[in-house]
Amino acid sequence: MRWLAAFVVLSGAAFLLGDYHNDVYRKMLLWVTLALGYNFLFGVCGQVAFSHFAFYGIGAYSVVILLFQLNVPLPLAIVLGVLVCIVVALAVAIPSTRLDGFYLALATLALAQLFVVVLNEGGSVTGGTGGIANYRLPAIFGMQIRGPWYTGVIVLVLLLTLWILMKLDRSWFGRACRAVRDNPEAAAAMGINVARTKVIAFTLTSALAGVAGMVYAFVDNTVNPPIFGLENAFLLLFMVIVGGSGRHAGAVIGAVLLFLLPFWLSPIVGHHHVLVFGVLMLAAILVQPKGLIAIWDRGRDRFSR
Amino acid sequence: MGPRQGPILEVRGLSKRFGGLTAVSALDFEVREGEILGMIGPNGAGKSTTFNLIAGTYPATSGEVFFNRESILGMPPHRIARRGVLRTFQHNRPFEGMSVLDNVLVGAHRLFTKNSRQEEAERRIRAEELIEFVGLGGTASADVGTLSFGQGRLLEIARALAGEPRLILFDEPAAGLAPAELDRLAEIIRGIAARGIAVLLIEHDMHFLLPLAHRVVVLNFGAKIADGLPDEIRRNPAVMDAYLGSHAEHH
Repeated sequence: MRWLAAFVVLSGAAFLLGDYHNDVYRKMLLWVTLALGYNFLFGVCGQVAFSHFAFYGIGAYSVVILLFQLNVPLPLAIVLGVLVCIVVALAVAIPSTRLDGFYLALATLALAQLFVVVLNEGGSVTGGTGGIANYRLPAIFGMQIRGPWYTGVIVLVLLLTLWILMKLDRSWFGRACRAVRDNPEAAAAMGINVARTKVIAFTLTSALAGVAGMVYAFVDNTVNPPIFGLENAFLLLFMVIVGGSGRHAGAVIGAVLLFLLPFWLSPIVGHHHVLVFGVLMLAAILVQPKGLIAIWDRGRDRFSR
Repeated sequence: MGPRQGPILEVRGLSKRFGGLTAVSALDFEVREGEILGMIGPNGAGKSTTFNLIAGTYPATSGEVFFNRESILGMPPHRIARRGVLRTFQHNRPFEGMSVLDNVLVGAHRLFTKNSRQEEAERRIRAEELIEFVGLGGTASADVGTLSFGQGRLLEIARALAGEPRLILFDEPAAGLAPAELDRLAEIIRGIAARGIAVLLIEHDMHFLLPLAHRVVVLNFGAKIADGLPDEIRRNPAVMDAYLGSHAEHH
């Protein structure tokens, strides 16, 4: 019931917004979806990976290439797109999580870089530097989902992502992820297969990022290399840390705030908004190392006493 | 209640060499269900190495370790734990970002078979009972960071018990505890053995261990120099020489 209400409110908002604001709103929803997944990987499971945004791109490019270069029907294209993400994630995670923490960071950094190189050099398959454009979402059950209605699809993916992650987080698997983050040696002594837990968490969150990417592909109806640059991986990391690492609500707050901040800042400070943005980020981390969600926690504690 | 049935843990000819140093040499011993086996010896006698070999932290040079008649030597720690061998750490190793209850629930990891709400609720009740049993009642929802050192040691025990071990390994559980806490600890360990769980207790402090253990193995320079009842160990001149002799030098 609460999920349905959330769906109605979040999708309904799209009908109240103009074209421009609806576009901003959709991208914000996608960033929230990405931040939720990355929070599980980084905040809950403690894995420092920089590939989350690359998987968003892999999902987007996969579905577009499958649909319009290879003429695969939509349902199959979605399944195959997820499969591509899973295979790439396993290929990165299995060797690197067997080694210690920072190898995953290096391997995923390399993957994120390599992905952009492949996009640029992919010739007619990826469309090279110009990417692929001028396509339209195929009809689903004879219906063309357009305009604000498509926002409903994004909301659906966001809520599905949140539901899966919440379910996982409250299960023994989520607890195992936190245990692996906090103390891998003690986790192993309790019977947790540390390497496998890491690989599963990495693959699952990467696949979720891929699904978000597939939805993104039909937001602008164009995919090109600059969209999926490495700087986005760091923005995701900042979102999770500023909001409150390890907390779903923290990821939402961080993503909304950091996504919207440049829109508020650039009219006030113009081109210097990147600098102001950096200073604000640093201040937030120094003043609130546990994230903005900690302010809410303190308020609630005071209220309940 | 004393020992029952055949041995659940059998160690045969266990040896470990680090380069030229023999840390553990051809060690034989066994632990029965419901038995508290104490292992003592001066610093550097090979107690911790033996512990880590059984727990799977590092590989042995030679020998055999059977748990429930199955060879577990060479298995990674998580697979040994999955079979029902759980341990505490000498330096408390809580999961820092979690509540006391969640810490204990991680200990129950090996028992989760499905992903049902009912299973989770059952484990939760069991975990709360264990928190009560070790004397941490009222702290279940507290952050582990708020516990004292002694409470942290009790949490280590509750966490290991949550996995319903058949063998529990204690790595110097008395280290760093105050005298009042030691009495409480001894009482808990007796209670664990009374449930039919085999206890292997590695300990430096003889005064804590001798009244508590059913049987004692004494190590010196990696080899077993005595194996018997606590009273026999007290009267054994070789033990007094090796252990108390080296102890006396420190004072």
